[in-house]
This record gives sequence, structure tokens and C-alpha cells, in this order.
Amino acid sequence: MSVKEITAEHIEELEVLAAKYPVRRSALLPMLHYVQSVQGMVSPKGIQTCATVLDLTPAEVAAVATFYTMFKRFPMGKHHIGVCINTLCALLGGDDLWKELTETLGIGHDETTSDSMFTIERIECQAACTVAPVMTVNWEFMDSMDPAKLKELIEKLKTGAPVQSTRGTLITSISDSERLLAGFNDGKVNDSPDADDSMLAGLRVAKERNMTAPIGKGVR
Amino acid sequence: MTLTSDNKATNTQELITATIDGIQMQVPKGTLIIRAAEKMGTFVPRFCDHPSLAPVAACRMCLVEIEGMPKPQPSCAIPLTEGMVVKTQMTSKVAEDAQAGVMEFLLINHPLDCPVCDKGGECPLQNQAMTAGRTESRFEIEKRTFPKPLELSTEILLDRERCVECARCTRFSEEIAGDPFIELLERGAKQQVGIATDEPFNSYFSGNTVQICPVGALTSSAYRFRSRPFDLVSVKTTCEHCAAGCSLRTDYRRETVMRRLAWEDPEVNEDWNCDKGRFAFGYLKTNRLTQPKVRNLDGNQIDALWPDAVDIAAAGLANAQGKVAVLLGGRLTLEDAYAYSKFARVALGTNNIDFRNRDHSEEEQQFLGSAVAGNHNSVTYKELENAQNVILVSFEPEEESPIIFLRLRKAMQKGNLKVTAIAPYLSKGLEKLNAEVVATKPGEEGKVLSGIDIVENSIILIGERAAAIPGLLSVALEVSNKTQSKISWIPRRAGERGALEAGALPALLPGARPVADASARSEVAKVWGVSNSKIPSEPGLDHSQIIKAAINGELKALIIAGLDVLDAPDPKLFSEAINAVDFVITIGVQENSLTRYANVSLPVAPVTEKSGTFINWEGRPRPFGKAIGSTNALTDARVLSMIAESMDLDFGLQIIEDLRMELSELGIWNGSKLEKPQFESKEIVDFKNDNVILSTWHQLLDEGAMQVGEEHLAGTQKSSVAYLSEETAKQNNLTTGDLVTVLNTRGSITLPLEIIEMVNKVIWIPFNSKDSKVKQSLGAKEGDIMLIEKGKV
Amino acid sequence: MAEIPQMMRAFGTTFLSMFRKVTTEQYPEQKDQFPPQARFHGRHQLNRHPDGLEKCVGCELCAWACPADAIYVEGASNDEERFSPGERYGRVYQINYLRCIGCGLCIEACPTRALTMTNEYELADNSRTKLIYEKDDLLAPLQPGMAQPPHSMIDDFVAQDYYDGKVKAASAEQFAEIEILKQKKAQD
Repeated sequence: MSVKEITAEHIEELEVLAAKYPVRRSALLPMLHYVQSVQGMVSPKGIQTCATVLDLTPAEVAAVATFYTMFKRFPMGKHHIGVCINTLCALLGGDDLWKELTETLGIGHDETTSDSMFTIERIECQAACTVAPVMTVNWEFMDSMDPAKLKELIEKLKTGAPVQSTRGTLITSISDSERLLAGFNDGKVNDSPDADDSMLAGLRVAKERNMTAPIGKGVR
Repeated sequence: MTLTSDNKATNTQELITATIDGIQMQVPKGTLIIRAAEKMGTFVPRFCDHPSLAPVAACRMCLVEIEGMPKPQPSCAIPLTEGMVVKTQMTSKVAEDAQAGVMEFLLINHPLDCPVCDKGGECPLQNQAMTAGRTESRFEIEKRTFPKPLELSTEILLDRERCVECARCTRFSEEIAGDPFIELLERGAKQQVGIATDEPFNSYFSGNTVQICPVGALTSSAYRFRSRPFDLVSVKTTCEHCAAGCSLRTDYRRETVMRRLAWEDPEVNEDWNCDKGRFAFGYLKTNRLTQPKVRNLDGNQIDALWPDAVDIAAAGLANAQGKVAVLLGGRLTLEDAYAYSKFARVALGTNNIDFRNRDHSEEEQQFLGSAVAGNHNSVTYKELENAQNVILVSFEPEEESPIIFLRLRKAMQKGNLKVTAIAPYLSKGLEKLNAEVVATKPGEEGKVLSGIDIVENSIILIGERAAAIPGLLSVALEVSNKTQSKISWIPRRAGERGALEAGALPALLPGARPVADASARSEVAKVWGVSNSKIPSEPGLDHSQIIKAAINGELKALIIAGLDVLDAPDPKLFSEAINAVDFVITIGVQENSLTRYANVSLPVAPVTEKSGTFINWEGRPRPFGKAIGSTNALTDARVLSMIAESMDLDFGLQIIEDLRMELSELGIWNGSKLEKPQFESKEIVDFKNDNVILSTWHQLLDEGAMQVGEEHLAGTQKSSVAYLSEETAKQNNLTTGDLVTVLNTRGSITLPLEIIEMVNKVIWIPFNSKDSKVKQSLGAKEGDIMLIEKGKV
Repeated sequence: MAEIPQMMRAFGTTFLSMFRKVTTEQYPEQKDQFPPQARFHGRHQLNRHPDGLEKCVGCELCAWACPADAIYVEGASNDEERFSPGERYGRVYQINYLRCIGCGLCIEACPTRALTMTNEYELADNSRTKLIYEKDDLLAPLQPGMAQPPHSMIDDFVAQDYYDGKVKAASAEQFAEIEILKQKKAQD
């Protein structure tokens, strides 16, 4: 599969990102996300480009790009699917979801299907244990999943039917999500539903009972 | 193993009292626990700690117990504080166990390949596993393996399974060299040192990482599997590659140099050296001359016995009856250069001697004679480190004197140095010094130098290239006077400063004595035991005048020592001169294009096979002893003594002690020196659109004669490119990636073009790199006007 | 006269010994009949892996251990031609039997069991140089199933497999490889 080239226009957008920060090299993470939105991966050429824009050496950029697991050094599919495999999600069905997912798609962790539709990844805690087991599609939440819902989700994504994240916008592609992560506003901030009761239950109960956080040692 | 030297202690003199292992001690505030312990004789095991690098506490090997702290702490990263009570592994079970535990973790994935590892036998991990580790491993499952070795560059190999992630190499590259081409990639258990794809570790200082690697993870291709530490005999030597004067450790086995390392010298090279000094010694074995050769009546060169060759040489010189000249390269030791200087005067009765086998001028001679010779320790490395303002003129530190580059970089990082460079563009090296460039066309440096604001007490570093620019050295002296700034001349070759002090110039006698000064001559004559009239009172011919005189048939014989025609200011004229002269004696280590013209060719010892002294750019003598003795190769001085003897002269410079005694007897002249140069600058005349001014200097790693036979090193050379400004390129319809041809009446050079921010109407090309040999192809010098056009493939 | 019985006893001993079995060994005629003990420290041997690759990795530990400075080794990389598994092999291997004292510290030092000692004790010659044994003199002869190095390791095997004893004999590929090499050499 050929990886998309980075063109002069892309470099212009990278410059926009770099200019956002008082110290230009602070823009490296957003820039790598941007490269990933363009290329579907962070290629050596992408690393080189970021290095040139920020006046770093490619090795310095590679150190960052290889440190974070969100940056892939292999071509991703159209959609990125993550399954939380940390304890709570795993116990509440995450393991089943992972099994279902790998069996349905016939690939493993950090692999891409041959039709370049899906890349799947075992992900760490997404801080949404209230709605475990949690999955993400293009880093948008799919809460309280089960194998049946998963099957349906895959079908929809395959056929291109609309899929709404349970707490986010309409699913488009990993490329769009990466562009958003890079810091380019997609204008969909109001498309997401508000937090539902399961999210706010704890807060409600605490307020009802007049509970406060315990005061620890050393707090004045 | 790394030990601290006093110069690296902290500057503050405020003392604090603390206790280590029950012993109360006073140390300067800010002293790290590990250093304090070392001072009192307790060695805390360590890998990541290096006195010249910032603390990082990456390896966790140096854990010690500190009273009041809940867990063992890394002693390499914690400074002692008032009243602190520290227990090392000597008195604390906690510390001992902690260290043993860390060692066990470090060894989990470390392969048991010490027998095939280049570090085996001198390996901190091996040693400390013995002192701080367990006798048996509890780790039973298979160790992680990687394909090995990984080539970081053609010179540096990485064995990933041996790495303990101490980050010494990556920290060195970033902090010291400013070349972060290697980094810790990946994370957690997968963390490894690595390079970016297609971006090799081509740093001029990469070899240092091999030396400071505390395990065998980084090794050099050149030394790979060549010997084990216990085979080697180590000798302290001085680097012969440039005027920096680095202390080196030369390791040899069976009379063959196996490797060279940096020898710690706080005053000069600190813990480091450059890759050229470290790896380029293959020339010692390449094209070595071992047998004297003479030309017979048929015109063929044949092997000769020493006595015969010497007699023939002496007879040839006697025949020439004073119509002789001596041309030296800049690579001779002080003692050898002195021998030539004396030989020219005493045996040949001439002042026709010049060590400058490069672009030079009468102005330069006056500059050297008035401001440099005899002026020991004018500027030192230490002064550079503490300087506020340094101005670089015709000098590119990273390429032309890498240890000055490191010292300037150190000063810059301390935050107290501002570097201003008068140069055509901001080079990568200058960028690493945070230098401000005053973009200047070659030829206009003098004008710019006298035009810019210079703070008093600055330091001006002026390179040997300045000789090619008329008026520049005169202006530089004036400016340094006016601003009370010290000025230091930075030659490139190791022997230039020594040859200057030895009086190997037409207007100078040893010890900065002007030839024209009668009392100077009589002083020298007294030491030499000759009559005053023996030393000619008129200054002799300099290098280019010698060449001209030879071509015009005014000279009958030439002695050419330690130089290659390819380095000459004009190789073509040089060859003509040699052909025009009846009798040529070449004295040198290697066979080169000159030796085959010789009537007598005499082989001499390279630096490893003799003792001697190089005087570095500071004026600091850097004596060294003989490393390899069995070859019985003779020094230049010894050969000259033999010739003098054959001429019935009492020359008396048989052994190094004779030479050193005579040199110290001569001392330095305290009479009036040569006149200061007062030369006019040349105005750059208007020229056509497709004309540009040539700017060029040596890359540190290039096609130099002393870098032959080192393929691995050659692989880390910078690729040859030409630089133009955008405007100049546009005027000539050129863009980045095009080939550009630089030409004059002599020849041409074609290189790929890179457009950079630089002064207009100037083209920069490397001086002596692959596909770009300015002297051979163009016979040109910096400041010459050249034609450019689009190059053809 | 009291000495007579003593003398008789002494002569008796002499007389009786005439009928005892002779312990004199006739060297060299009878040397096969009296082999040295298996523990005897004789001439060294550089061993091979079962596929013919050399066990010596050129680590020089033998040379380091040698109290008589009788061993000289130079290592080299297996990059171009492979003589041993792993990265390194002993390019030069010399034992000077004028110096060797047969102490066996070298074979104790050897990390790969490449160096062992045979029982061969006939180490005499008429020149000094002949008593400096080169690698060719010391290498164990090829056994059936071994292929003459240089050749590759067995396909899919790594050096560790050799040390783990997984190699039993040279593979067909290895024999084919040296055959090709031979033909190439013949052509040149």
C-alpha cells in the first residue's frame, strides 16, 4: 500500500501548528498527529518533515514518534478500533470483545486488515470505567459494548452506514480524528451528547449526602 | 573507569559538612554524593554517571542509603547538603542489596558474549558485575536477542542486546557534540538507542560514544575484533591531525597501532577528541616508504643503502652552491622543523625555507613574526571557556579545529559566551554555537571586522585562511589593539605553530628572532657554534617565491619534506618547479606524487615511531614519546644530521635530547620582533552576473593525505555540495538539486547545488572533499572570482 | 661372617627379579602398547561443531590464561566468510610448543570448549619455527558429516543453537554451498 506523500500544502499546515507555540518544538505531538492524518501513519519521511520544520534532528523526532503508541509506524486502515483491556473492562466483557474482534477481522494487535479498512489495538484505560467495557472507534467512545453490538458496528463501518459514537460525533475516519487531535477544529464540538446519568450518578449522590473529599495530610 | 578531575568540581567555594560512611567531610556546596565518595576513596558503582555530562540517574546502579530518606537514592544525581548522612555499599546493607538488585536487573537481558565483545576485559559492567553482582543468575528463561550489530554509521556499530540504557551516548551527542543523531527510541522494556531511518550517526565526535559506553553496546567498525584489551600496550601521545593538540592514548599490539582513544587532559581536550584523531591512523601503514631511493644515471629510481643515499644527497646539495631552498609541510614536529631551520642556515647557507604549504602571504609572515611567534599562551582553552565574546574570522571551528568547537560550545551552554562569526553563511557548526553571523563576502572580512562593534576584552580567533585575503591580518591586529582584544591564530595542521617557533620561515630564526636583526643572528650563531656571517642577513624566499625562482631556473636544488604536492597553493606550479630543478631531495613518511620526482628520497618516522613535540594553537608544547620502537625509522632531524655529517659539518642533532637542549638554550627572543603588517585591503571590483566569489574551507573529514586507508571513517564524511544564495541561484537559473559547475581557466568542479541563506554572489564548495578538490581542479583560493554555470550530468 | 646371610638375601633379590616381567617400554617400537593416560596433557586441538564450523571464536582467553605466553590469537569477523557460528572467529591461532608447559589453563579458560588437549606427546622437531603450530596444525580433522568451512550456519539456526547442541551434522545446503565455492575457485 502506498503512503500518501507530504506536499508543500501539508508543510504549510505544519508551519501553522508550529507557530501556535512560544517554543516551536512544543508543536511536535500535534504535528505528528497531523502527519498521521495525512499518511495514515508516521513514516520516516513524515519524521523527516517534522524535523525540518522544527529544526530538530530526525532522531529526536523519531524518539518521540516511537515513544507514544498512538503514533503508528505501519499504515493504518480507514478506521482504528481500540478495545480496553485493563482490569475492569476486561472483567466486564472486554476480553470477549477483543476475542470477537480479532476473530471477525482475522488480525491481531496493531495489525491492519488486508482491505485497509480496520486497524485494531488493545488500549489502556480510557477513564470511562462507569460504562465498561469500553471501545473506541477512531478514538471516539463506544460505551457499554458487547459482542453483538460489536458485530453490528463492524458491519456498519464496512458498508459505510452512519455510526454515532455514544459520546461523540458521527464516525468518519481515523484520518479525520487525527486531524482533530492535531488541533484543527472540525466544528463538531456541539454534535456530542451531554453526559448521561450513569456518568453523573456519583456526583449526584455525593451532593445529596453532602459528601466532601477527605482532607489528606499536609493540606492546609 | 571514569574518575573526576579537579577542574570539574563546582565553582562555588562555600563548604558544607556531611558524613559518608561515618567519615565527616567538608566539600564545596553542590558536590554530588558520588564525587565526594570518590574523593574519599569509595567507588560507588555506576554506568550512566560521567563527570562531563549532566546527571540523569538512568541506570540506578549507584544507589546509596541517605538518612531520613525512605528509599535508597541515586548518588550520582543528589548533591550533598549540610549535615547529610550517607551510607554507601561499604557500610550499608540496604545500599549493597539495592545495588545487587539493580545489577541483577541489568544482567537479565545482557548476553553472555563477553568472549567476543570488544569491551570484554575493560568493561565497567563486567567489573561491577563482579563487585556488586551475584555469582549465579536466577534468571532462567531465554534472554531477549536482536540481530546484531546495527550500523549507526559506517564507523559506529550498536549491539542492542548489550545496552543498559544509561544514555551516556545520547547525552554526549546532545550536550557535548550538539549532534543528536542518536536517541533513545521506543519505551519501557523496548527502549533502545537508535537513529532515524536513513539518517546515520555522522557526527564528527561519534567515536567518543564508543569510549564512554560502559558496556560493549557501541563499538567501532575499524577496531571490531582486532584485539583484546590485554593485548594492548597503551602510550600517551599527541594527536598529529590538527593544531588542537589533543592528548591521545595510542594502543598498539605487535608494533601495529590498533586503536586510539582520547586521553583525559582537562587543560586541552578534556575527555574528548574528534573522529579524525581517533580513527585516522591507517596512513601509518599505507604507502609507507621504508627504503632510501636514489635516481641512477638512467633516470630510474633504485633502492639504496642509507650511507650511499645520504652521500648522494650531500653531494647534490654541495653542487647547488647555495642555490637551494627548503619546503616543509605543516605536519612536522617542533624538533624536526627546527632541524630543517638550522640545516637551511648552517648547511645550506640560505634563508629560503618555508613551512607554509598552503595559501600564504608576506603579510602573514609579518603577522606571525610580530604577533604569534614566541607569544606562548596568549589565548588558552580555559580562556575561551570563560570568554564573553569571541569573534571568528576566516575560521570554521567545527571543521578546522574541532576541539575549539567543543570548548566554545561548552562556554555557550554555560550561557556566558557570545560568538560572532565573520563568514559567508551560518554553517551547521556555527549554529550549534548559537553564533551570530555577519554575512561577509570572502575578501571583505577586514572591512567588516573593522566595522562591527567589538566589546573590549573580546577574543578574536583568526584562521589560517586569512592569509589568502590581502589586508585582513593587518586589520585584525589593528582591531585587536584598538579593542584590547586578544587575538589568536588558529592554524589547521599540527606542526605549523611549532615550525613557526622553530624559525622555518624566510624572515624568522628560531624563537621569533627576525633574520634581519644582527643581534638576533649573533645569538643564534652563538648557540649553533658558527660564525655570525654564516647566517645570511637578508630574508630568504617564501614558498611561492621559491616555486617561482625554481621555475625561472634560479634554484638548483630543493629539499621537500613532509608535504604532498596536492596540498600546495598551486599544485601545477609546484610540479613545474620540481621539474625545473636539477636536484630534488624528498624526505617523508609516505610515498606520494612527489617522491617519484626525487633524486634522493629518504624515508622518515611517523609520529608513532619517534618522540617529539607539537605546539598547539595556544602555543602550548605537547611533547610525546615514541610508541613503537622496533621499526628503527629515523627522525627528520637524524637524517639531516647524517647529511650534514657527510658535508663535513658538525650539526649535532642526533637525538631528541640534543634538539630539546638546543631549543631551550635558544629560548625566546626578547628583542624587537618583526614589523607589524600594514597591508592594504583590496576592493572587490564589480563583476558580471555569472561570476561569483569562491568561498571554501576544509571539511574535517575529507580526502586528506592522512585519512587514507580508513574506509569506515570515510563513510561518515559529509557529502559534497555547493552552496549559493537564493538570489544568486536565481540569477543563474539554478535551483536546489541542480548540478552547478564552478570553473576558471584551469578547470572545473561540478557539485549538486543547495540553496541556503547566505551572502549573495558567493559560492561555497568544500576544499578537498570527494568530487571537490579546489587546488587540484581549480588551483584557486578563497576570494578568487569564478564562473558558474548549470552542470551537466 | 655375619654379613653372608645378608649378602645372600641381596643376591637373591637380584636373582628373583630376573624372572619378573620387564617394565621397560621400548619407544618408539612399542609405543602403541603403552598409550598415555586419558588425562595426559598432550598437543592441543581446536574442535569443530558437528557441521564442521570451528568452535573457536578468537576470544584470546586462552592466550590470556597462558602463564608461558605460548599462545597467540587474532580474531576476525565472520562477515565475509563464515568459519564459526556467531560474529567472530579465530583468524590466526598459534601455539608455540617451545614455550608451552602443558599446564592446561588454556583449556580451562576456553568458553566454547574449542580448545582441548589430545594425548599426543610427540612434540619434537628440528627447528624452532616448526614448533610454532598454526591453526591448520591444531584444527581437528573433519569427521564424516562435517563440511569444510567457510560455509554458512545451518538454515534457520542461530549461534545459540550450536551451543545448545542442536546441530548434529552438516546440512545438504552447506555441502552444496562449499561445492559452489569450490567450482568458483576452480574457475578463477
